[in-house]
Amino acid sequence: MPESTLESFERTVVPLLDAAYTLARHLLRDEHDAQDVVQEAYLRAWRHYAHFRGGDVRPWLLTIVRNCCWSWRRSTRPARDVVEYDDEVHGDHSSDLPADGTALEDSDRAILRTALAQLPPEYREVIVLREIEGLSYKEIAAVTGAPLGTIMSRLARARTRLAQALDVRGREVS
Amino acid sequence: MDCAMDRDLLGAYVDGELLPGQAAEVAEHLTTCERCSAEADMMLKTVRRLREGLVRDRAPDVLRARIRAALHEERITDAPAPRRVTPFPWRAVAAGLLIAAASSVLTLVATRSGSTPAGNSTIADEVVASHIRSLMPGHLTDVESNDQHNVKPWFNGRLDFSPVVPRLDSLGFPLLGGRLDYIGTRPVAVVIYGRRKHVINVFSWPADSGGDMQPSAVGTRHGYNIIRWKRGGVESWTASDLNADELRQFVELLRAGTPPRRE
Repeated sequence: MPESTLESFERTVVPLLDAAYTLARHLLRDEHDAQDVVQEAYLRAWRHYAHFRGGDVRPWLLTIVRNCCWSWRRSTRPARDVVEYDDEVHGDHSSDLPADGTALEDSDRAILRTALAQLPPEYREVIVLREIEGLSYKEIAAVTGAPLGTIMSRLARARTRLAQALDVRGREVS
Repeated sequence: MDCAMDRDLLGAYVDGELLPGQAAEVAEHLTTCERCSAEADMMLKTVRRLREGLVRDRAPDVLRARIRAALHEERITDAPAPRRVTPFPWRAVAAGLLIAAASSVLTLVATRSGSTPAGNSTIADEVVASHIRSLMPGHLTDVESNDQHNVKPWFNGRLDFSPVVPRLDSLGFPLLGGRLDYIGTRPVAVVIYGRRKHVINVFSWPADSGGDMQPSAVGTRHGYNIIRWKRGGVESWTASDLNADELRQFVELLRAGTPPRRE
């Protein structure tokens, strides 16, 4: 029996929920907003799924999630980025388990989250898409709608700032 | 010290995103320019730290359940009026209808002991539909407060009766707020509580017929547990994706914090 559209959606798109939620959480810096927006993005994805013509489903879904996040930010929380306190970073994370179950030093992870949360959203999204999702530059450009050159320089700048925050140093220059 | 190397290219080089010709040029430059070489080294270390330290978050189960419920509702509500011009998931709709039909049968069986099974089945449908709707962004509360003295008076002038709003925060069920909703054509009071990441909607309205009724499970619909009861002339229904045991416990606490209403 051929697979139904819903079965196919449940097999390919629903398992990407962690990736979708992670992107939304870093972009919105609020777990409740992230949940609302991801739910909205999934409904949108479902409505457009019939038009999805093959290819890698992950960048396709992340594009929808990313766009939903940006419209949410524009429409409802224009002042959110100004607020320094962020419960995403400072709040209780006891219930947050990484999807892959690795046990890296909590402190290191917390420092990184804090540093990332302080970057502008344009930088946060390229870092998430590259370092967590491992997308290619071309895919990142497609997801964010920015030219390749812009992606390149945003990534470079974002990494430089994170390196400073993490106190990563290169070889000494004599 | 100075060199003409574009810094952004170093990142792309480290990421293996340059064309072979470009990559070879950068590689050669790095053998002669100490500064760029140190920077590429730093970039590499940073990337390694980021990949180790940044991992996907696990989406909460409640979000998974919400999406499943919303997808399900989409299919049901879209079924009678396919507005899509382009390929429409007919098979999915058919499956959805089958599930809907099956769950109505189950609910009918579950509510057979009630006085008017058909009526109760409709109420159960609407209670769950309202619960699912409330989980959509911005639909949960009309008045958002965890203070009963804000929530209770809010219903004055909006309804001809006042719901009970006990505080159960200390018992792990924080008050989230209140909302006006409709079951059938009747406006009802909805008081919303939380339990960890679960949402509990409590619907209440003046009962049509007298006689108290002990809390009874109306079964599950779309994965949501439903419990109803009647006391002091008020009929109450609650729906949540919380497990059946905890929902029952919640109802007991709610009732314990609720003195029977005296006319």
